[in-house]
Amino acid sequence: MAPGEKIKAKIKKNLPVRGPQAPTIKDLMHWYCMNTNTHGCRRIVVSRGRLRRLLWILFTLTAVALIIWQCALLIASFYTVSVSVKVHFQKLDFPAVTLCNINPYKYSVVRDLLADLDRETRKALKTLFGFSEVTSRKRRDTESENPAQKGIQPKFLNTIPLLAFNENEKGKARDFFTGKKRKVSGNIIHKSSDVMQVHKSKETVGFQLCPSNDTTNCATYTFSSGVNAIQEWYKLHYMNIMAQVPLEKKINMSYSAEELVVTCFFDGMSCDARNFTLFHHPMYGNCYTFNNRENETTLSTSMGGSEYGLQVILFIDEEEYNPFLVSSTGAKVLIHQQNEYPFIEDVGTEIETAMSTSIGMHLTESFKLSEPYSQCTEDGHDVPVENIYNASYSLQICLYSCFQTKMVEKCGCAQYSQPLPPNANYCNYQQNPDWMYCYYKLYQAFVNEELGCQTVCRETCRFKEWTQTSSLAQWPSEVSENWLLRVLTWDQRQQTNKQLNKTDLAKLLIFYKDLNQRSIVESPANSIEVLLSNFGGQLGLWMSCSVVCVIEIIEVFFIDFFSIIARRQWQKAKEWWARKKAHPGPEAPPSQQGQDNPTLYIDEDLPTFTSALHLPPALGAQVPGTPPPKYNTLHLERAFSNQLPDTQLTNEF
Amino acid sequence: MHVKKYLLKGLHRLQKGPGYTYKELLVWYCNNTNTHGPKRIICEGPKKKAMWFLITLLFASLVCWQWSEFIKTYLNWEVTVSLSLGFKTMDFPAVTICNASPFQYSKTKHLLMDLDELMKAVLERILAPEASYANTTSALNFTLWNNTPLVLIYEQDSSHPVVLDLFENIPSASVGSNAAQGRTCSAPGCKLAMKLCSLNGTVCTFRNFTSATQAVTEWYALQATNIFSQVSRQELVEMGYSAEHMILACLFGTEPCSYRNFTSIFYPNYGNCYIFNWGMTEKALPSANPGAEFGLKLILDIDQEDYVPFLTSTAGARLMLHEQRTYPFIKEEGIDAMSGTETSIGVLVDKLQRMGEPYSPCTMNGSDVAIRNLYSSYNTTYSSQACLHSCFQDHMIHNCSCGHFLYPLPPGARYCNNQDFPDWAYCYFNLWMSVTQRETCINMCKESCNDTQYTMTISMADWPSEASEDWIFHVLSQERDHSTNITLSRKGVVKLNIYFQEFNYRTIEESAANNIVWLLSNLGGQFGFWMGGSVLCLIEFGEIIIDFMWITIIKLVAFFKGLRQKQAQAAYTGPPPTVAELVEAHTNFGFQPDTTNPSPHVEAYPDEQTLPIPGTPPPNYDSLRLQPLDTIESDSEGDAI
Repeated sequence: MAPGEKIKAKIKKNLPVRGPQAPTIKDLMHWYCMNTNTHGCRRIVVSRGRLRRLLWILFTLTAVALIIWQCALLIASFYTVSVSVKVHFQKLDFPAVTLCNINPYKYSVVRDLLADLDRETRKALKTLFGFSEVTSRKRRDTESENPAQKGIQPKFLNTIPLLAFNENEKGKARDFFTGKKRKVSGNIIHKSSDVMQVHKSKETVGFQLCPSNDTTNCATYTFSSGVNAIQEWYKLHYMNIMAQVPLEKKINMSYSAEELVVTCFFDGMSCDARNFTLFHHPMYGNCYTFNNRENETTLSTSMGGSEYGLQVILFIDEEEYNPFLVSSTGAKVLIHQQNEYPFIEDVGTEIETAMSTSIGMHLTESFKLSEPYSQCTEDGHDVPVENIYNASYSLQICLYSCFQTKMVEKCGCAQYSQPLPPNANYCNYQQNPDWMYCYYKLYQAFVNEELGCQTVCRETCRFKEWTQTSSLAQWPSEVSENWLLRVLTWDQRQQTNKQLNKTDLAKLLIFYKDLNQRSIVESPANSIEVLLSNFGGQLGLWMSCSVVCVIEIIEVFFIDFFSIIARRQWQKAKEWWARKKAHPGPEAPPSQQGQDNPTLYIDEDLPTFTSALHLPPALGAQVPGTPPPKYNTLHLERAFSNQLPDTQLTNEF
Repeated sequence: MHVKKYLLKGLHRLQKGPGYTYKELLVWYCNNTNTHGPKRIICEGPKKKAMWFLITLLFASLVCWQWSEFIKTYLNWEVTVSLSLGFKTMDFPAVTICNASPFQYSKTKHLLMDLDELMKAVLERILAPEASYANTTSALNFTLWNNTPLVLIYEQDSSHPVVLDLFENIPSASVGSNAAQGRTCSAPGCKLAMKLCSLNGTVCTFRNFTSATQAVTEWYALQATNIFSQVSRQELVEMGYSAEHMILACLFGTEPCSYRNFTSIFYPNYGNCYIFNWGMTEKALPSANPGAEFGLKLILDIDQEDYVPFLTSTAGARLMLHEQRTYPFIKEEGIDAMSGTETSIGVLVDKLQRMGEPYSPCTMNGSDVAIRNLYSSYNTTYSSQACLHSCFQDHMIHNCSCGHFLYPLPPGARYCNNQDFPDWAYCYFNLWMSVTQRETCINMCKESCNDTQYTMTISMADWPSEASEDWIFHVLSQERDHSTNITLSRKGVVKLNIYFQEFNYRTIEESAANNIVWLLSNLGGQFGFWMGGSVLCLIEFGEIIIDFMWITIIKLVAFFKGLRQKQAQAAYTGPPPTVAELVEAHTNFGFQPDTTNPSPHVEAYPDEQTLPIPGTPPPNYDSLRLQPLDTIESDSEGDAI
């Protein structure tokens, strides 16, 4: 034989191309059930009696259904998290601490800018409540009403008139300035009466915002108390005025770090104004952040207790307070992360004058898992809102950025208390006469979640939180007040010449109570290994199945099944063709039963030990007439004996 | 007997040679194992055989890999936490109360007189230097001053700072012309500093302050520490506020209590502190109801007029809630309560219970921490704070050979003071600011496994109200001093309400995330998933391996035996036997070279020398009987796979 032929024959011998060896689907099924590794099927075939067989079919199907159901549950609960709380005992990084005076600008400096507004506010107060002596408790009243100014047309009351509404007369309002009644149309938004029941007969105070060319579509805001109305009204104009002042000038008008911080002590070391970085907040003026210096290492605490934290004495200077803008005295303090933007107006803690406020902290750090476990974002890059703050992403930054962007989009200018997006200006009357109306409309929509900001913005995955316990003590004490104030005055000698009073000062202590840091960490509850092993557990529990069984099923039910059908069809077609070609001489198909495996027939006897275990029959018990089996696959037990042709020989003796 | 029999059997087997071959064994294994893959390898056609072989191999390696992952996960000792929140009857926390001022000024005046005079003079010098020139300072006690003087540092010229002692006319180190100008020190860049010297004043450092307030406060505190450390503990306790004087009224739930229910403890920073419900001698009091009505109500007199003026600048009571039998570190963890107000404190017990090694790095009772707990003399439990303080005191005694006044003393040590240890202040500040010292302490101390924190919700209101002020003070004065006049004032009284909140506990408890049951069930799951196997399958596999080795041993023995016989035969003269003969003689009867007659049986070797017992027992493996032993000859044809 030629070598090529030889190889070909060898290949043919070793890798014969053959289809499934079971002749019919029923045989295939039978074969499968008898030989599969899963437990139920075999019982179906082996069982005798119709009821028992039916029961076994039922059991098997239930088991399959249970497996599918349980595995579906396992898959559905795959993306769950388990939370662990860890405590580390270690040196802790001290957070950044932002300190602000509640009053943004020194009134003595800013008074020139606000002179007109203040005068008109006084005037409105006089008309409304019948008094005009609005002077600060301590301030020397230097500004007497200038009679020459009285003739000037009030511009602020004209732009946005303060109105008194009588509940009984709907749609009518009295203008403070003219005293005339005027018609109010459009929607009236009661800023507080929805929430609280006010007296029916009481006159409410409010103001009206209209688009410049359309007086029919006005939004009117009323307040239950004149205090709120005046403050809100004042704030609107104040923002408008301040929006036109350049930043440099505003910083100069506010407090310097040397003025604000009288003494500073951190972890046993003296610190001073140089350790604070300036941060200008539109509503709080100059704020100073401790432990936030660029290119410097973050300070850390290696001991708990007030001695090892930050101790500052702040100079509040109540004389310089703006009477209309702020009505409380003190400072605001915010503890935050170094790269976080201090939202001092939202989350700050207020501290009182003539008091020592101790804030003891515990650090809790949280780590969440991002997609697909939860909706949080690592650093905000996947949130479609541009971060207009010069700080790392947070939910609050996102919301404000979103609002500011929408504001620029809708109103054409930016709101004053938030940073400027690129290519935008702050709103003011000269350029955007309608901005207030627009702002209020937009703000309403924002609060009602109509702008979509709340759905777009997502929380951050990791954040640090300082749990604070604050307590107050009287400071300075009666007996130490005398010497302490004198020394503090000496310390402040470069900033102010006046003798300090204890109501001008506030003491603040911020410290870690202990060095335990709690970390709340989410971790995936399931890994792919656990999922697979759970699958294995389920498959094994119900049916003693494994992936091998699955492969078997695919092999038998898909490949063999279809090839048998195809073969049957082919044979039928061939038969039909043959019958058509040569005359119908009904020829029985060659019987194949004789060539079947002896295990294939359904014996009516109870299975004997040998037949149940599929052992080959004892040597003597061999049925003499059975021809040797032909299907290799059906010869499970003799799988390799047919490669040994002499087996049969030896069997015989 | 059995053993002997067994060994004999083994010997026979060895002599006889293996009863079956490797291939036989493998086939038998594949056929009879319960693992799903191998069975399919042998029973089908060669193509499928190859495929199933690969699949089985792949799955086996997958199982091994996943098992290693699981074991790795298990050895990470991860924990899961369970959180529970609610209200239950709990032991009321121990409440420690202190006055902000450690001592009554009226009782300490004789000790502090010199120091106060000095302090006043210092203040005069700082505030109005010109005016105080006239006053001679001869009356002052300069022994206190000379040890750690305050100096003015004039830093206009940063390379040559002028250093001026407050009470000396001559500047210590600079040109004389600057002296007069520097003394006024109104210019910027003029700072106060504390001069700390060691080795009889030869090595000095300056502790700089940016504000005069801090400088004088710290200086005074240091000097006062020095004075108080020389006074015996008994005297110090007497100088502090007595419980009877301080605790005016006490009510726990509906039960009245008095100062007798408080345990006294001396805390150097705050003098006499009193602990309610410490649980040291008697059982801790439980509280079964939430709300202010069922908590502890206290009225305290802090007597602000009698404060030591320069020592403390804040006025009020200091209190702390802590667990029973723990030492109150009131300076670190305490809160203030203001005079003239009612402070209400709602308490939530925040408990963290951890598993300890190897799950979390913490210590159960501090016994495995290398630092001796100095607070153990109080019979209190371990805490990381106690460890840190003990560590500092250890270092202090090691470096400065005396202990700091604020911390307890180990046996045999003494507190620092200027007379006996003139360098101690220098040494102390060096140690205090030392980063390495702190880091060593942090690394050596461990946190405690059971951590209880009391989360407090603090609110305040004015107390007593304008209307009730009069009668309240009358009653309290009458009760304490038996006087008809009011002896108390708003500035001195503190009212405290401490009670459980509606939810009074939040327990975070650790449990092992992966226990041995978890590990086994996952191992089983993986094995079952890929191969449908179980532990029995592993045992089967092990059995096969043993069989394998057994065959190898038998074969080797036979081989060496054959070798020896060959040599022995070679030694004797005679016709050398063929290799086949030798092999035939000493190996398996089942073995047969291809060339021999293909119908062998036992009788074919009648003169078998190595069979001492004629009736060889058949192999014990039933399985081997599946195929008659004679069918194995044709190894050469078995390469169909």
